[in-house]
Amino acid sequence: MLTRNVVQAFRFAQTRGIATSAKPLASSVYMDPGQSKNPAVSTTPRNITEEQRSALDSALRVDQAGEVAANWIYMGQHVVLGRDPKTGPLLQEMWDQEKKHLAVMNKMQLQHRIRPTLLTDVAKVAGFGLGAVTALMGREAAMACTEAVETVIGEHYDDQLKEMESLPEGHPSVPLLRDVIKEFRDDELEHLDIAVDNFSQRAPAHAFLSSVIGAGCKVAIELCKRV
Amino acid sequence: MSTHTGARLLKLALPLVRTHGFTRDALAFSVLELPPPETLSSPLSDAAISSLFGPGSKAEHTLINFFFDEGLEHMRYRAQAWSGSTGRSPTIKELLEERLKYNEPVLGHLSDAFASLASASASVAQLGPFQIPPVDPLPGLKHAFRIADEACYLSGDASTELSWYARRASLAAIYTAAELHQITSPHTTDRFLESLLDSSSRAKNSFDEVALFSSYLFKSCKGIIKSLGAN
Repeated sequence: MLTRNVVQAFRFAQTRGIATSAKPLASSVYMDPGQSKNPAVSTTPRNITEEQRSALDSALRVDQAGEVAANWIYMGQHVVLGRDPKTGPLLQEMWDQEKKHLAVMNKMQLQHRIRPTLLTDVAKVAGFGLGAVTALMGREAAMACTEAVETVIGEHYDDQLKEMESLPEGHPSVPLLRDVIKEFRDDELEHLDIAVDNFSQRAPAHAFLSSVIGAGCKVAIELCKRV
Repeated sequence: MSTHTGARLLKLALPLVRTHGFTRDALAFSVLELPPPETLSSPLSDAAISSLFGPGSKAEHTLINFFFDEGLEHMRYRAQAWSGSTGRSPTIKELLEERLKYNEPVLGHLSDAFASLASASASVAQLGPFQIPPVDPLPGLKHAFRIADEACYLSGDASTELSWYARRASLAAIYTAAELHQITSPHTTDRFLESLLDSSSRAKNSFDEVALFSSYLFKSCKGIIKSLGAN
């Protein structure tokens, strides 16, 4: 499964490289103040069924919580490994990308009128703790944490894209929503790629660490969908 | 009759609430307001009301909830008109005032409506030898929360995470207090609402200042620890 994910990561990174040279990133529409009145970033589809609305609610709630947790994981890792000349800039780069993801998710939460999860503060504490503890275990363990988290998040975004196929194509916010999720999925898989390149698999008890962190992420996703 | 017909009759029943209250009578007489050639000469039968809007007090609750839904629609419509004429989003105060104005024609029947909703789904409970009044606060809370949420959305409020809940909870409490005040003294509602919003804003500012001060304190401590060579 891991090998498959790594191959996927390479493929997504390549695809993204081609895509970025052809057109601007989907999320840039959200970061452009001049676009704030654009219906694609300021309105939500109203003619969707209750099931679709509920699926959209839980999907964006989980995504936002995931980005909060990811930010705090990188913060925890950066506190410990930030001064390492090789790992510090790498963590900072991934963290900056997560900051952008969170800023976009916050805008999407307001646009689609999503109730945020009540577990935000739990996600922050757990994320920081996970990041700091794995970083204290060493550089490879920190990368193994990144690999495990990004694998689950990448797969989660992929599942969401399939779920979102049922949303009405006619509303301008729907194609943009899908493009943003695709972009974020590719970013997360790029982080996975970086983690593997930086010897995540040499971490002590790598398989155990990956399965524990991966299971924790899956539990957190289910909790944030509901609470 | 279809759901569409039900919605049409509910719309026609709203002006009749002034005279009949949120009752099955208002629903029964709504068919007399249909435009020709659909106009009927006699009110809807009890069986037809039950079939369209639910049995017993459920029909009344359907009418009350429709009134609340239309209130939200009214806020949206007013917000759009504001944006069109002034080029800015309406403020929370303007939106809540507008929603309270929407209550005015049926003010005399609102307390009955809330009482009816509160007693709808509650079952009689016992606390030792005492019988607790069967009151269900959820419909009232839901009503206030929906208005607070709509006001936040229409005013462009950007609260996220836990402040999303805090903002809506405080506005729902303010709106509930203002609405209760409106039922007893309608002429002073706007001033009462304004004073509540001012107090809430002052409380928020004080809280923000404490949070800012705490963050400075934390940063100072961090700096002191670093300068001692702990990191």
